[in-house]
Amino acid sequence: MQARLSDKVQIQPAYLGKATIHVDAGLNRDVVRILLENDGNVGISAITGLDMGEKIGVMYHMRTDGLIVTVRTEVPKENPQIASITDLIPGANFHEREVADLFGIVFQGHPNPARLVLPDDWPANLYPLRKDAKLEEVTANVENCASCSAQHEPVQLQPQSEGKLVNIVVGPQHPALLEPEKFQIKVDGETVNDVEPRIGYVHRGVEKASEQRTYLQDVYLVERICGICNSCHAACFVETVEKIMSVEVPARAKYIRTIILELNRLHSHLLLLGHAGLEIGYETLFQYMWRDREPIMDLTEMLTGNRVISSAMTVGGVRRDLSETDVPKIKTRLEALMKKMDFYQKLYDSEPSFRMRTRKVGVLSKEDALRLCVVGPVARASGVNMDVRKDDPYEAYGEIPFKVITRTEGDTFARLQVRLDEITESINIIDYAVDHLPSGPYRIKVPRVVTAGEAVNRVEAPRGELFYYVKSNGTAYPERVKVRTPTFANIPAFIKTAIGGSIADVPANFVSLDPCFSCTDR
Amino acid sequence: MSKKKSRVSPMIKEVFAHIFMKPATCKYPFVKAEVPEGFRGKQVFDINLCASCGLCSRDCPAKAIEMVEVEGKRRPLFHLDQCIFCYQCAESCPRNAIKSSMFFELASTDKSNLVVKPEPSHQEKSGA
Amino acid sequence: MLDFLLIFRVLVFPGFTFILFFTLFCDWVERKIEARMQNRVGPAVAGPAGILQPLADFIKLLTKEEIIPRDAKKNIFRIAPIIAFSVMVFAICFLPIDGSSAISMSGFTGDLIFIMALVTVANFFLFMSGWASSNPYGGIGAARVLTQFLGYDIPLFLLALTPAFLAGSLTISAIAASQYLPFILLAPWGFVLFIIALQAELEKDPFDIPHAESEVVGGLETEYCGGKLAFLHLTRDVQIVLGAALVVELFLGGPYGPVFFGLPAFWYSLWFVLKVLAVVIVTEYVTCLFARLRIDQVLTANWRMLLPLSVLSLALTVAMATYVYPMVV
Repeated sequence: MQARLSDKVQIQPAYLGKATIHVDAGLNRDVVRILLENDGNVGISAITGLDMGEKIGVMYHMRTDGLIVTVRTEVPKENPQIASITDLIPGANFHEREVADLFGIVFQGHPNPARLVLPDDWPANLYPLRKDAKLEEVTANVENCASCSAQHEPVQLQPQSEGKLVNIVVGPQHPALLEPEKFQIKVDGETVNDVEPRIGYVHRGVEKASEQRTYLQDVYLVERICGICNSCHAACFVETVEKIMSVEVPARAKYIRTIILELNRLHSHLLLLGHAGLEIGYETLFQYMWRDREPIMDLTEMLTGNRVISSAMTVGGVRRDLSETDVPKIKTRLEALMKKMDFYQKLYDSEPSFRMRTRKVGVLSKEDALRLCVVGPVARASGVNMDVRKDDPYEAYGEIPFKVITRTEGDTFARLQVRLDEITESINIIDYAVDHLPSGPYRIKVPRVVTAGEAVNRVEAPRGELFYYVKSNGTAYPERVKVRTPTFANIPAFIKTAIGGSIADVPANFVSLDPCFSCTDR
Repeated sequence: MSKKKSRVSPMIKEVFAHIFMKPATCKYPFVKAEVPEGFRGKQVFDINLCASCGLCSRDCPAKAIEMVEVEGKRRPLFHLDQCIFCYQCAESCPRNAIKSSMFFELASTDKSNLVVKPEPSHQEKSGA
Repeated sequence: MLDFLLIFRVLVFPGFTFILFFTLFCDWVERKIEARMQNRVGPAVAGPAGILQPLADFIKLLTKEEIIPRDAKKNIFRIAPIIAFSVMVFAICFLPIDGSSAISMSGFTGDLIFIMALVTVANFFLFMSGWASSNPYGGIGAARVLTQFLGYDIPLFLLALTPAFLAGSLTISAIAASQYLPFILLAPWGFVLFIIALQAELEKDPFDIPHAESEVVGGLETEYCGGKLAFLHLTRDVQIVLGAALVVELFLGGPYGPVFFGLPAFWYSLWFVLKVLAVVIVTEYVTCLFARLRIDQVLTANWRMLLPLSVLSLALTVAMATYVYPMVV
């Protein structure tokens, strides 16, 4: 594939995705450039840092033709420097800043190498995901900070003028954001001039915490990264572990997992569409949507034992079987929802005030969507045909017929409409899966100790592609768990589309990304 | 999508019709909410089945199970304020001594209420 | 004895006390009906069917701690909500509720214009209260109140002239009394446009820009708490009653209706209450139908649509009143 650099790189096919390319630290830009030249649709899924003792591994997980190609390189721990690829792929911006924060790698030539996830008063030379980071250093730092915080200037929240521009701070606490993140918006009159995001307000260090728990416990830990797409996280994690162990899950488990994942998508999309109604002041729509979401929650509760956190996935299958008596209940509830979808579609087609608020708002062109490497419904609304369920089928998706919904407008309305259509598709998928449920066992016994190895895996979460990298060192505890959540990849799209638009459009535009910050922060 | 697009918002009819419809809300604190079979509620622990192996405590992702001494044997004590109700303990238990109940109203003003103690008696502890 | 009657009328019925409780009752109806339209229960706990909920909310707020921001313009911050509230109540006192207004001798020529002016003054004090809080959100919210109000005041006033023309008077009691046939039947176009303009004036969907919490947090109320917030809420509710009452007086035949037995004042009050509730329900229905427009869309809708339409409506009314109705009626 890369004949031009073949003497300098080693290609290892079918490892960590479609292939892994081992390169020297100086050549990462060249490889990325060649990948870009080969295929205009190349995007970056994630950048993983990995503490390897003397060295720090940097892995660029690139997306080509819907599959992952990992570009792997190493830098010495004493002097961790590598050339930035943000100028080649603007979507790498956030990924590089995160790795810089957590591993201390200096990305040379990065346009804005400021902190992204760590707090501003974090000690300068402490990189939490390195293995030699000590807890004591952090606790000591907290004590230091308690004494020094008194000297800190209180944060200025008044709009500050910079010539014609006015700074408006949205967040960390703001009614338009349900979770704490800060966006500093520079406004010229009513027009947005610049957006400076700052995430990390609810960073819980799940990646680090999962290194200190067993695989069994980690399933429940990663499930709680995000309350809304909880099953997706759990499914993605257990699939990654199963890939490392080369375990084939029984067919029945695959179908049950698919059903639960799609229920998850249904309730997530309904939640977002209702919430979008609230953001544009359409309270009635919000109430109706959430009312219709309730039967889905009841179904999840019936199948798994809890309304939201399903805890249904486990390594080797699912934890509960789906009984025959549940099938008619699932069917009637989905049928009722299907009827409601007709009403919502009519509403989307005809309601004037709703259309005025969402159409031509926050337009993201296909080129920008590709450059910024956005994922999920946001990408599909801009005409990028990508869906992990189709591109790289997992669970039972390869056997179930469904359509990938795309639209070309790329505005807020299209992003919401894509989700509305996906609800219909999800109902059909569940319907099909319930009808074609194979018999047999729903889980197999797997050992607690995972064989040494590493794997990457992706799941199409409601908000887009969810990426996991797990490295096992042959014990019951993982060596490294890397999570890249969809919202993390989608925030650049908000910055891009907000600039030049009206400040009053910011909430509607922002919510159409379906932002989930507890995901983003992990 | 070959649906004919109507110009009139369906909301006009829907909102009007809802004036005469029963609200969808459950009057929860006044009317008891029903949970389905298999709900993961408060734990029920049967001390007679327990083999004091401690697997539940070791596997608990939230470290909510403490092994305490009861009549000379180590038994699990569930701290419900830490519990995430995943029921890994029930799955890990080799003798099915831990079962779930449908009881979910666990809000309390006193943390000390939020434990399931291993009862030293031979009676099974009830959910309430 | 006349003085005692005046004091009773101003303070108890149909004056201050009646208006206060009627406002709270309207608030309850509004919340309940909105909840029903959205398939919810609405207030349900305080009193039968939650009828005491608005009162409970009001009293609760009165008991809360009063906080005044350091940078606020303290005197204005303190008194502006009270003045806005008083002016609103004062304006209602000029409306004939039980056949005559609370201050019975107050009806003078052109009191329609006076009431409209009072509403403007009250809104100006609302703006002051937001501006005085020295909070960016309060400031933006207050500016939005003013922008929207100044825009929609013009069409509202033009539309209020429609019944004035039909009745040949600018006195509210005269307009109300002259409606043997309610003006809603004679000039339905004026009524529809008036309701739309009123929707904007009362800051309800699709025009509730000043309350867009996803954009401006609490709007002008952001820094308010305790008793002052209670009065701001009450001002808003009184404004809704006032707006609905204006519609009743101008288009729905005022408090007049069939008198079956006994005191006409009782029946007139009853008709007034029922008609106001009907208008409140209609505005709430409109609120439930739409999403909130953007501020520029709201202003465009006003200057490009509502203003020309209200001029047209006035012209049509004048034409009808001059050439058609004298022949029919």
